[in-house]
Amino acid sequence: MTPTVELRGVRKSYGGYAAVDGLSFEIPPAHIFGLLGPNGAGKTSTIRMMIGIIAPDSGCVRIFGGPIRRRALSRVGYLPEERGLYRRMTVGDNLVFLGRLAGLSAAAARERIDAWTRRLETADWIDRRVEELSKGMQQKIQFVAALLHDPGLIVMDEPFAGLDPVNTMQLKDVLVGLRAAGKSILFSTHRIDQVEKLCDSICLIDRGKSVLQGSLSGIKSGNGRRFVQIDYEGDGGCLAGHPLIDSLNDYGNHAEVRLKPGADPQELLRTAMRGLRVTRFQVMEPSLEQIFIDRIAGRDD
Amino acid sequence: MRRVWIIAQREYLERVRTRSFIVSTFATPLLMGIFLLLPALIAASTARGIVRDDARAARIVIASDNRALAELACGDLMRQRGARYEPSVVSPASPSEREKLDKRLDAGEIEGYVWLDGPARASRHVVFATARAGDFVLQRRLGDALSYALAAQRMVKQGSSAGDVAATLQPVDLTVVRAGSSLSEYNEMRGAMVVLILVFVMFFSLLSYGVMVMRSVMEEKSSRVTEVLLCAASAQELMTGKILGTGSVGLTQVAAWLAMAAFGASRSLYLRTAIEALDVGPSLIVYFAVFYVLGYLLYSTIFAGVGAIFNSIDEAQQWNFVVILPLIAASAMILPVATSSDSLSSVAASLFPFCSPILMFERIAVHDPPRWQVALSMLLLVATIGAAMSIGGRIYRTGILMYGKRPTIRELSRWLRYP
Repeated sequence: MTPTVELRGVRKSYGGYAAVDGLSFEIPPAHIFGLLGPNGAGKTSTIRMMIGIIAPDSGCVRIFGGPIRRRALSRVGYLPEERGLYRRMTVGDNLVFLGRLAGLSAAAARERIDAWTRRLETADWIDRRVEELSKGMQQKIQFVAALLHDPGLIVMDEPFAGLDPVNTMQLKDVLVGLRAAGKSILFSTHRIDQVEKLCDSICLIDRGKSVLQGSLSGIKSGNGRRFVQIDYEGDGGCLAGHPLIDSLNDYGNHAEVRLKPGADPQELLRTAMRGLRVTRFQVMEPSLEQIFIDRIAGRDD
Repeated sequence: MRRVWIIAQREYLERVRTRSFIVSTFATPLLMGIFLLLPALIAASTARGIVRDDARAARIVIASDNRALAELACGDLMRQRGARYEPSVVSPASPSEREKLDKRLDAGEIEGYVWLDGPARASRHVVFATARAGDFVLQRRLGDALSYALAAQRMVKQGSSAGDVAATLQPVDLTVVRAGSSLSEYNEMRGAMVVLILVFVMFFSLLSYGVMVMRSVMEEKSSRVTEVLLCAASAQELMTGKILGTGSVGLTQVAAWLAMAAFGASRSLYLRTAIEALDVGPSLIVYFAVFYVLGYLLYSTIFAGVGAIFNSIDEAQQWNFVVILPLIAASAMILPVATSSDSLSSVAASLFPFCSPILMFERIAVHDPPRWQVALSMLLLVATIGAAMSIGGRIYRTGILMYGKRPTIRELSRWLRYP
């Protein structure tokens, strides 16, 4: 299947400073993709190249299987990090304008605005000026604006910023629904908990380079299963110096173990059972957050 | 093209709906109408005795040891058209009289006195002591009256009859006829007024609508609307739509004013004669439209670029001034160009593209300049617009996505070189 988005060796620099440095990734259809990274990592530049605002210095960006063209871009919905609405105009006027600009007729735009605002419980706000709305409300309106023309690719910069838990759930449900309808969704964030719940795959970038990417489960298994907790009865000394163990914290009847890369926890279990009476043996899933901190700080080995 | 249209449409509707647009559209002609009508209304009501004009006639004393001479001057001062003077004579002119006159002047009993003693008559150098030092009309008329009196007295001494004197010294009435004018008589004051009104409209429209484009660019930039728009339209479409939309607002305003003038003329005879006397031919209106549109395109493009560079109005203020400078220079040239429209400096200034929308138009309105100069100024203007669009477009394209620090000149020149 043709990927919705395809980046190959994309590079973009501003006056000698490489904002994006040889980035490659793909987003297949019906997929939620998380673009992660600390502030200034190059997320915004990457997004801008995907939606045709800026052109890469080298490398290639393709959407819907072709180069960036106005025609293809009309199938992209974009939600910027900060509100991108005319403050003095009403919510309705803003949405009709953006809908028409995206290629809808005024009537079709109104129809869809009606449907979406009802679904997101914002229909009462349609005649208010944007400046009267709270930040969270504006974010929801912006969300509607990005989805009005039924885009095949939805690009969202920090979509959950400023939203309370109820609204976050509401938008999350919408995104999951869109994925089920075959849309590709990319969102950039530094909120890792949301990525963990929503994304199918991620790309972690730092200083313009990809540090880590792949499917969420793959990343977790590739990077994880290295922390083991053991509750036992007996002499824990038999674990010390085991070739699979990288580090060991022994508390007498509870031990926390960090395995060497590539070590199989089953092997450790077998060793432990030989010398000890094991009451609990648990392989800990590393949190994504831990992986990121390790990666970004360069402490990974 | 569809996107340019949608963007222009939004820009237009948003601006036309604002209170400031509605107020300025109706208030400006109202003020102008009051300005035009008020003197006539007052004159008419004073004549009918409805209103009494309380402005005091200038009480002028002519002090001279030659009573006949002083009375001749008084008489001439009274005869002048529209004169509102109350001259009186003090004779003979002695130092004690002068002290008394000074006291009366200080007390505000008189507005001034002329000291016309023997030496002053001989040297023709006369002192006029007055509390109205700024009233140059009074001064000119007083000078005329004194010259008249001296000449008349001499003629009488030489044996001329009173009729001879009057006939010889009768002032010449100058009728100005403008070349190529449809009216046989050209009223100097009205001719100057139409030029001033049109040039004034041109100046303020270029300025206010240019600044409007700048504000609009800044607003979109700071609210990040630009990013959303750029996802759906190119930077060029955005800028074009914005300039066309805002420009249409300006044209709407001018058209509304023309319509109001036409309506006023159909309702009021006075207004109709006033407007007809302005002698605005269709060709002048066409020239106005052409220079208005060209001037707007030039300045709005520059202002769009300036708006894209800065993040706030405050920041843009000082650079704004640089952009406005040629407009201010042009407004300073308005009077010199009106008085000598074919001088080298007038020709040069009216060819300079940043001033030509105002000054070349003014020259056309005042006096037919050579065709080649008009053509050359338009050509230069169009070429400059082309250059401004190329440079402004590049700066706009990059600037609208740059936040935070204000770019240096070096960064700006780099923006120009981006592919």
